[in-house]
Parts: sequence; structure tokens; C-alpha cells
Amino acid sequence: MICVNLRASILCLRGALFLSVCAFAQDGAATTNNWPHYGGTQFAWRYSALDQINASNVKRLAPAWQFQTGDYEMGLQSTPIVVDGVLYLVTSRNQLFALDAATGKLIWNYKYPLPRGPVSYGPQNRGVAVGDGKVFMGTYDNYLVAVDTKTGREAWKVNIDDTKQCGCNVTAAPLIAKDKVIVGGSGGDSAHRGYLTAFDMKTGRLAWRFYAIPGPGEKGNETWKGDSWKFGGGAPWMTGSFDPKLNLVYWGMGNAASDLYSGDRDPGTTAGGVNLYTASVVALDADTGKLRWHHQEVPKDVWDFDSAYECVLVDREVRGKMRKLLVHVNKGGFVFVLDRETGEFIKAYPMVELYNWITGITEDGKLVGRKDPVVGAATMICPGATGGKSWNQTAFSPRTGWIYSPAQEACNDLIARKDEPNEGRSFIGGNWISKMPPGKISSGHIDAYDPVTGRRQWTYQYKYWLMASLLTTAGDLVFSGDPEGFFFALDARTGQKLWEFQTGAGNRGSSVTYSVNGRQFIANPSGWGSLAGGMGGFFPEFESRGGSVLTVFALPENSK
Amino acid sequence: MRAALLMLVAAGLASAQGVQELVTQGAEVYAKSCATGYCHGVKGAVGGAPRLASRGFDETYIMTVTRMGVKGTAMQAFGTILPRRDLMAVVAYVATLNGIATPNLGRGMPAAEAPRRLLPADAAKGRELFFEAVRGFARCSTCHALDGLGIAITTPIANIPASVAALRELATPAVKTATGQGESFPALVLTQGARETKVYDLTLPPPVMRVFPPGALKIADGSAWKHSSVIASYRDAELASILSFLKAVAVPAP
Repeated sequence: MICVNLRASILCLRGALFLSVCAFAQDGAATTNNWPHYGGTQFAWRYSALDQINASNVKRLAPAWQFQTGDYEMGLQSTPIVVDGVLYLVTSRNQLFALDAATGKLIWNYKYPLPRGPVSYGPQNRGVAVGDGKVFMGTYDNYLVAVDTKTGREAWKVNIDDTKQCGCNVTAAPLIAKDKVIVGGSGGDSAHRGYLTAFDMKTGRLAWRFYAIPGPGEKGNETWKGDSWKFGGGAPWMTGSFDPKLNLVYWGMGNAASDLYSGDRDPGTTAGGVNLYTASVVALDADTGKLRWHHQEVPKDVWDFDSAYECVLVDREVRGKMRKLLVHVNKGGFVFVLDRETGEFIKAYPMVELYNWITGITEDGKLVGRKDPVVGAATMICPGATGGKSWNQTAFSPRTGWIYSPAQEACNDLIARKDEPNEGRSFIGGNWISKMPPGKISSGHIDAYDPVTGRRQWTYQYKYWLMASLLTTAGDLVFSGDPEGFFFALDARTGQKLWEFQTGAGNRGSSVTYSVNGRQFIANPSGWGSLAGGMGGFFPEFESRGGSVLTVFALPENSK
Repeated sequence: MRAALLMLVAAGLASAQGVQELVTQGAEVYAKSCATGYCHGVKGAVGGAPRLASRGFDETYIMTVTRMGVKGTAMQAFGTILPRRDLMAVVAYVATLNGIATPNLGRGMPAAEAPRRLLPADAAKGRELFFEAVRGFARCSTCHALDGLGIAITTPIANIPASVAALRELATPAVKTATGQGESFPALVLTQGARETKVYDLTLPPPVMRVFPPGALKIADGSAWKHSSVIASYRDAELASILSFLKAVAVPAP
């Protein structure tokens, strides 16, 4: 491949026959020495421009240091954040560590006082955000805490909602957009009305709140039957993205509740969506939280097919015109491509083999051939409750121009039942039973796609589900880990496995890469956790091993 | 037999048919509260949470865990969530998943429930308003804990204002004015020590607990902060109901 820099874009000549324009070199979309945000940068590419470790030398990659958190509950699901040689790591029970990113030496730790009594969605934490000299951490009893990066002491702390009442808490990493820190919450399977809340980074004061469900008098409230909007779910339980130039924050909203039964929330009309803005991607003004546009991927969701996952912001050519896009995997196993300036639907394509909840999606984004669960009888639905992809994230490489996604093939029998909302309590409206269609076996895979056309470039096949995030680098590598404990590197162009290392426990977190004093490191959390037990229904022979360890790799010092 | 009898007495049931009814009811409760794929799964066989079937659990253990929950996990204390009969029923059902055909709930039984405090209609309405989620941060429970819910920013409500007007114009001498680091804001002081100054910043709801280096904040009596402004979303009639609720449940000052 020959690449030529042409102002902001890179023209790539692939052989003699293929001519394709790579992504604009989007300013600041790749990480370099730091890993400053949950998704790498606010564009959520999970791509680093570092290439010291690359496809030709990755075989020599070896552990440089390890850090045992000592907090094994629910494994280690988080994304480390690295700023100027300091690595910030959080465990599922809000134990926060600042480590020397080159050596692993502990700089400080902050132990959040464990709440008394049980908590709604269990202790799970997927990461922190760092900015304005503070580490921002959502807690499992629903506070947002700012900790001084230098001292490890609290700077401010604010309650987001009473966890005992709302049945919600924070499991996601917050997102920083300019002077604000924005945090989503869990609660989408409870009788709860989800929201995003933005706080001023400096003072902790409320900046804005965006409800996933519009209130009376607001546009979209008419897409709810009666009072069902009050407890209709929509909790945005993962982390969004931010485009500084457009000043828009993008976030995926959770499923409608009760999850599997829509009889009490469906107003009977379908024009313009049902149960807005659940199972939707929204674009909000970063300063005010006001809705700029939305796209509802799943109107009247009855499968728990959230839109909560990451929004990957890429600039790509569509039908001869460069567009600012948002690429988003829905839990139902479809990738949605939207114009992120306008919300215009561009394309959707499946990323799993097994899907039957719809037969397809039209060119203007309408779902076709819905298969809704019924009350009191089992309906086989694919993908299953864990989704075609779980919350572990995709990665995008501007070098290949491809998006890399983990996937799992699984189905469930769904049984709907009428459910009454009881504020903050479970509000599922039915159940899932692990079950595969006759002759099919459950499995996992990682695939490379052209994000716009959906054309699959390669597939890495695996016998269990793959539930760790992907990481891709300018070294033309894709990193991830598997439930058996192996952390591995694939060739970003072919999918061929080039290297692996046994970390000692299953992988359910998000690896990152960074550089300190010219040496590139790859840091990988392992320890399983978070719905990992759901795999047992499909793989009775699989035995998970819990843990909570960060393993950091580099090339040996004498062989860089 | 004796075990079964104990159970029947405990459950207030009259016959062996009652056991079966209890287990059947327990299966219903289980299906609704415990069986999702995220939790224990159908028949406790497999799910995101630990398996419950064929684990050798006895009734006492099942009752204890179901009532008390498991600290630090998603397993809630169902003793505070389920009505007593539902609680017993689901324990009986889970016992059958562990090979106990005739569950004995005589051990580990919760004491008979205290009769649920029956609030007069107006106070019950007041309770709803006090915690009303659709108000977001503009509700009483953003700063006050009462009746097991809410965020305790300030001391427990003890002196109940005599009227709606008095509730609006409540004197709040504890709210001071904090000045320092280029800003000035209404504050409730938590600690003022040699190590740090810790205050609640009341600029706007929700209150923010903020920490400053010693000496960085100057605290002065008095403040422009008004109770009336943070409860502005309530109409007079609503505040009257809230007062009824407070009278019914707040512990009066000694």
C-alpha cells in the first residue's frame, strides 16, 4: 500500500486496481503518549498512533510489570487512563489507584468507603475520567467523586440520585467535554427513568441533566402510553463521545422498561418512534444538554436491545462525499451508521450470523419483520440477552480504514409477562432462557469491517464469547483477551493471531497503550466479571477464574 | 412431620396442600424477582449470579441470604422488599430446588412484620411529593433523609414548621457564606480543621461536598440562600401535604 499525505487527508493506493480514500486524519482522534479518555480520545476510536510495538516485533512482547489490586469482586472491568506517565486504575468496588505507568509503583490509592447494604446493579466499574487535575469516578452507590490527581484526596463529591429509591448507580466511566464531566447511570432494567447528568469539573455543581424520556409537554412524551414514561427505563449505562468541533456530545440510550413487555407503554402509534428516546443514539449540545438530533434504532424495544454502547466518530467517504459519521453497534447485533452532524441514517448491517428478531433494516432505517416475544410462551430470539456484542468496545484504525468488533453468537427463549412498575425495583416484564436453535452452537468472533459498507474483511473465530474490548494501533495490531485468560494480538490486516500471553484470569476489561520516555506499553486488565456467568448457560464445561490484575507489556529494553 | 408442622404453623397454613400452594406462589415470586438471565436464571440453574439449584442449601441459609442480601453484590435484602408471605414462599421454592420437598421455615423466620405504618391520605400524598422522582433535584429528599430514603445533607428534620409559609421561609442559620479561591457561595460547613475545610456548596441543588485546603475559605455568618428557592417547585397545597407527612413520621426534637 502506498499512502500519500494530501493536506488533511491521506490518499491510499492499494495495488494498482483499488483506489480508496482513507479517513481524514481527524485531529486528535488517535491517542499518542497518553490514553486520556475512556475510548482513547473523545472520538472513541480506541486507536493509538504508537507503532514501536508492531506486527513484525510483537512476538517479543513481554510483561514489564503487574499490579494486583487485591479487590477481586466482579473482576477488573475497567479501562485504565494514562496521563503524563501516571496510570489511573479503578476496581469494581471503587478502589482507585494511581501508578507510575513505567514501573507500576503505587503513587497513591483512594479507597471509597463501601456503602452499607446491597446495591442495585452490584459493584461494577468500567473506568474513570481525568481532567482539571482530578480523577472523576462514579460510585456504586451513585455518587460522582472528584479526587485530586496529585494527592489522591477528595476534591468534591455529589450524589446523583438516591440509589435506594431509583434502583440505579454508576457503572460507566464519565466523559469529559470541555469544562464538564458527564455521567450516565444504570437502572434500565428497573422501574426508573434514565438520564445523563453533567457537572462542572471544577466545582462539582450541576450543569445540566438530559432525561432519556421526555416529560409531559416535551416532544416525544406522546410516544409513551399513560404514565409509563415515569418508569420507562432508557438508562444510558455506558460512556458517550464528544466532537469538539461540532460541540456535540453523543450518547447511546438504554432499553425501554419493562424490558420484554410493551403492552403498558406502547401508545399504539409508530410514526416518529415509540418510547423515545430509549434504544436511541442522541446528540446533545455540550454546553446545555439540549437535544440536537436523535435516531431511534429500536422503536418499541421488547428484546432488551439497548443502544447503550459506544459511539465511534469517524470521517469517511460515503457515495463520493466525505461525511462526519457515527458508527454504533446496537445490542441486537446490527451496526448503525449515522451522519453525526444531522443524525441522518446512512446504513445498517448485521455483525452476527444469528439474528431473527428482525429480518432486516430498510435503506431508510426501518426495522422489517419484527419477531416480538409473547406473553406466557417461549419465543426463540437471536441474539440473546448479552447481545450480538456486549459492552466491551470496538476499535477503529485509520490505517486500514476498518472497524474491529467483538461478537457472540447466542440465542434465548424469551417469555414476556405483564409487570407492574415499583420504583427502583426490577422491571423486566419477562425472562430469558439460554437456548440455541437446533444444530447451532454458540461461539464468539472478532471481525474487521469497512464501517460504511459493512463489508467483512476478516474473521477471528473463537469457541467461547469474546468479552474484552479491542485495541488497535499504528503497529497494525488488534489486541484483545479471551475468557480463558489469554491476552493476544492479531494482525490488523489479516486477523491472524501473532502473539498471546496467559494473564491468569478471564478478560472482561479494556486494554490501552501509552508511552513513557520513548517506551511503548500495553496495559491489560484481567479478572473476568460482569455477566460473565451468563456464558455458563451455553458452555457448561467452561470454568471461569476470577481475579483482578493489570498486566503491562513492552518490548524488552534491549530489543526495541 | 414435625418439621412440616412447624412450617405450617409458622406460615399460618392449615394443610399439606398449603405447602404446595406456598411453593407454587414462591415459583411465581421467583420468576418475577430472581429468575432473569442477569440474576439466578430459570429454576436457579444458570444465570449471571450464582447457581441456586442443587447447592445443598438449607432453609435457614436461604432465608438468611434472601432476607439480608449479600453485601457488596447485586443481591438485595429482600426482607425489606417482599411482603412476608412472598418472602417465605420464595424461600420455600428455592429450598425445593435444593431437594427439600417439604421446606421447614420455622428456623430463620423473620419476626412478624411490624404493622405497616398507615399514613393518613394527606400524609401519604406528602410522602410521595417529598421523594417525587420527576422533580429531579427539586425535591425535598435531595437534602433530607426521612423514613429510610433520601440524602442526609442536613440534620434530621426535628422541628416541623407550623405552616406552609413558615416552611417556605424557614430560618437557616447553619447556612453560611464561604469565600475564597476567587468565589463566594452559600455553604454548610462540615469540618473546619487543620487538615482541610469541608463544606457543602449550596449554590444550586444538588449540594456538592467540596474540600479546600486549610485557610483557603473564609466562612462568614449569614447567606443569601433561601429555603423558599429550593422548594419553589412545590405548590402551597403540596407543601401542606408534606407537612402532614412530616408530622406523621419525623422524630420530634427532645
